[in-house]
Amino acid sequence: MSKRAIQFQLGIGACLGCLFLILYAIPHWISSPSNIRNIVLSPRFWPSIVAGLTGLVGLGLLVVSRSTPHESGLANTPIDAPRAGLIRLAGLAGLMVATFWLLPRLGMVWVSIPAFLALAFLARTRHPKTALVCAVAVPMLLYGFFAHVAGIAIPQGDYVRLP
Amino acid sequence: MSLIDNVMAGFALVGNVDAFLALAIGIVIGVIGGAIPGISATMAVALALPFTFPMQPVNGILLLLGVYKGGIFGGSIPAILIKTPGTPASSATILDGHPMAERGEAGRALGMALWASCTADVISNLSLILLAGWLASFALSFGPPEFFALILFSLTIIAGVSGESLLRGALSALLGLLLATIGLDLVYGTNRFTFGNPNLMGGLNFIAVLIGLFAIPEIINTVWNPTGHVGKVRTLGSKWVTFADYRRCFRSILRGSFIGVFLGSIPGIGAAPAAFLSYSEARRTSPNKANFGKGEIEGVAASEAGNNGVAGATLIPLLALGVPGDVITAIIIGAFMVHGLQPGPMMFVMNVDIIYGLFIGLILSSGLLFIVGSLAIRGFKPVADIPKRILMPIVLVLCIYGVFAVNNNIFDVGVMFVMGWVGFLMSRYHIPAAPFLIAFILGPLLEDNFRQSMLMSGGTPDILLRGPITWFFWGLTLITIIAITRGTLDKAREKD
Amino acid sequence: MTAKVLAGALAFGVGLGVTAAFAEYPERPINMVIPYSAGGATDISARSIAEPLGKAVGRPLVMSNITGAGGATGSVAVQNAKPDGYTMLFARVGSHTVNPAMKETLPYTLDDFRFVTVYEINPVACAVRPDSGIESMEDLVALTESEGTSYSSSGVGSMLHLAAVFVLDEFGVSDPLEKATHIPQKGGGEAATAVLNGTVTFICTNTSALASFVANGQLKPLMVTTDEPVPGFDVPSASSLGKPGLKQLVGWTGIAGPRDLPDDIAAKWGDWMAEAAGNETFVEQMTARGSVIEVMSPEDAGAFIQKQYETFRALVDRLGMRIEG
Repeated sequence: MSKRAIQFQLGIGACLGCLFLILYAIPHWISSPSNIRNIVLSPRFWPSIVAGLTGLVGLGLLVVSRSTPHESGLANTPIDAPRAGLIRLAGLAGLMVATFWLLPRLGMVWVSIPAFLALAFLARTRHPKTALVCAVAVPMLLYGFFAHVAGIAIPQGDYVRLP
Repeated sequence: MSLIDNVMAGFALVGNVDAFLALAIGIVIGVIGGAIPGISATMAVALALPFTFPMQPVNGILLLLGVYKGGIFGGSIPAILIKTPGTPASSATILDGHPMAERGEAGRALGMALWASCTADVISNLSLILLAGWLASFALSFGPPEFFALILFSLTIIAGVSGESLLRGALSALLGLLLATIGLDLVYGTNRFTFGNPNLMGGLNFIAVLIGLFAIPEIINTVWNPTGHVGKVRTLGSKWVTFADYRRCFRSILRGSFIGVFLGSIPGIGAAPAAFLSYSEARRTSPNKANFGKGEIEGVAASEAGNNGVAGATLIPLLALGVPGDVITAIIIGAFMVHGLQPGPMMFVMNVDIIYGLFIGLILSSGLLFIVGSLAIRGFKPVADIPKRILMPIVLVLCIYGVFAVNNNIFDVGVMFVMGWVGFLMSRYHIPAAPFLIAFILGPLLEDNFRQSMLMSGGTPDILLRGPITWFFWGLTLITIIAITRGTLDKAREKD
Repeated sequence: MTAKVLAGALAFGVGLGVTAAFAEYPERPINMVIPYSAGGATDISARSIAEPLGKAVGRPLVMSNITGAGGATGSVAVQNAKPDGYTMLFARVGSHTVNPAMKETLPYTLDDFRFVTVYEINPVACAVRPDSGIESMEDLVALTESEGTSYSSSGVGSMLHLAAVFVLDEFGVSDPLEKATHIPQKGGGEAATAVLNGTVTFICTNTSALASFVANGQLKPLMVTTDEPVPGFDVPSASSLGKPGLKQLVGWTGIAGPRDLPDDIAAKWGDWMAEAAGNETFVEQMTARGSVIEVMSPEDAGAFIQKQYETFRALVDRLGMRIEG
């Protein structure tokens, strides 16, 4: 992806976002009482201004992208195997969803341990043994600190409770 | 009673080991709490509060103030080492502190953070002692229209932290403004983008957004490119901050301290905007302008001076008016009341010994902060040597615990994850994160004060220009915008 | 190795689970949700009672601030919790009578909670700036009728919002919503500041929030809503002004659990509260802040809250203040 492409895509995105906000999101997702005396006091007033400015910035980006030379070079440093990278990213997204879903059910400690290991694996760590030790020790230590020193009700889950 | 008598009475209160110890313990708790993302200075103060109930009033309050000051400095440690601000006020420190750490200069960045923090602390405390009365009456002349003008001016910081493209910076800021509108409407109490979810009604949690935006993209990036960091030095480094560094940054530190004092004495702004304003002012006037954002030590100095400058100054509205300047002082006011003290003008008459006791304690606190801070930097040193692919899972687990702890809400962990992906995409598209953050903090203030002004005036916009303070900030805003436009045009011309 | 540890831990957990069925409530720490931020009236009240209450309960009480949406976020967390008595809520006038009376889209109703006690009552006072020229409620009412006034609150649907309207209405202002402008702020501290810096004319809030400003001479109280005068507030009470209806307008803090909280647990809380609220330090601390400590039984608490809710609801409906959408 070149710098020109970035400016162009962002410009298009901002314009579409602006249209979506003004035409759909603001009227549907912001409720406004019917008896507003002054338009500037409406709950929709401020988001509409933000949406409008987004459109302007989008147009600006489109204009700038036209004047950016085609051969402006790659914006991000490429990585060795982009396909594997994408798979790893998908794995990370899945890991986050699973973590979030399991947190209240299993408890924070029991979710953090596999999450730690999974992330170390996804990042292809060179120290698997250290990772294993840390995966158990770090959540336990943090639990001890947050629950017993800071007095915070760390979620315990429905199955195994820690003291 | 003369000044000397007051000072002596103050000494009698704090001239003992207990007071000194309370202050030191407070600073230690603060630095540790601040260094743990999610605990933050605010929660550290809240946690320490019940322990101060049985103490002598002066000792109890000094302990809390120690926590506060320690926490604001402590926040810079994870900001520099793991790109996770320990406390919102230290988010500006990331901009240059973390690149320095990536370059193997974490020790130098941390040292500068400490020096700048302590200098700003001294200036802030002196301002409190010498100018409390004057600044407090000034703070009371800030109604919604004045706030609106001040915040409008503060938004021009965005230009200073946008990096290579002003347009992408503006886009980032607009995204921040938009996400900040989630929640209940201030004036009518109706829902805005809440989709009936009670967790969204309170708005997105600021710390969840903050950590999501800075720390999580780093993790995602490591997964995307696991070997990208190999070959880079990432240790604390033997390079330490030198006196020459300090002298070079002294002007920025001084300016940052006064920005902090000014914004701190006005209730309702807080330390994060002060740090950003100080940072962007330092960048604007520095000869090394181009190096800002890439690991410029002056940037670290300016941000830390800005946020620590606030710490002493927020006590100005607290002591002189009984009005809390931010969340932390709101908790500290609770401690005053539990001890039967009523902060306000009468306290300078009724409990003047306590006031002077606090002043003396505060002066001591800067020195103590320096000692505790130096020890803390050495204590956290090993973090810089952890291999990155072990560090990242640790950061993830730490962020999960910390973000949960802020509001005891698992939903916030989800917000953090989502913001992490937003942050990752933003970095792929070279959209800077700092403008997002500034807009997210200042956006609601701007809107609320605008609408409060409109309610006051019945809808006529004249009120926005009602007095000299508003004229001053409107003028400043105009001048800054003209300067930014000219700068951008010049840059565009150079390219051609 | 991990499998073994996990299996062991599981077995341990099952063991705990079995004992839990026989053990008497409470056999582990109780999570107490405070739906407002640290340093606020609810937080201080909750943390002050935590110590004596913890002693009475015999188990640690873990205090959790879950803030947001005027107390709604924390209240919902308890509404959805298991009714096992291990998640309880410090409910407050704002979150549990004013909000339900005013907000159509609130994600809970009063019926979703079972109150085990109300232990603290805070009188409400109205105050203005000393240099405003307003000397009494009569002056304030006259000014509202002639030129119009404004008042601050800690947000739409907060007690402060309703209190100002309630007071003006009770003193015979014909259309309080039109004649007095509501300028909401982000919190209680900001609301008081708004009177200090002249953004608004008056504020009606708990005496504890005003006490230090009154003692410092920064604000001038006009009246309090109780029968008896309040120490430190040298002003007439609502009853002496001939407005006994305003007695309903008081702040309170109580403890509630989810709707299906069993009777025996509720009864236990009643006993614990009676024991804890007798603690001298606690009573001293709270009275010094202008509160009245008065422990209600679970039944009395429920009835008290229901009555206040109905009074507020009637006012809201009559004036058309209900927030829809």
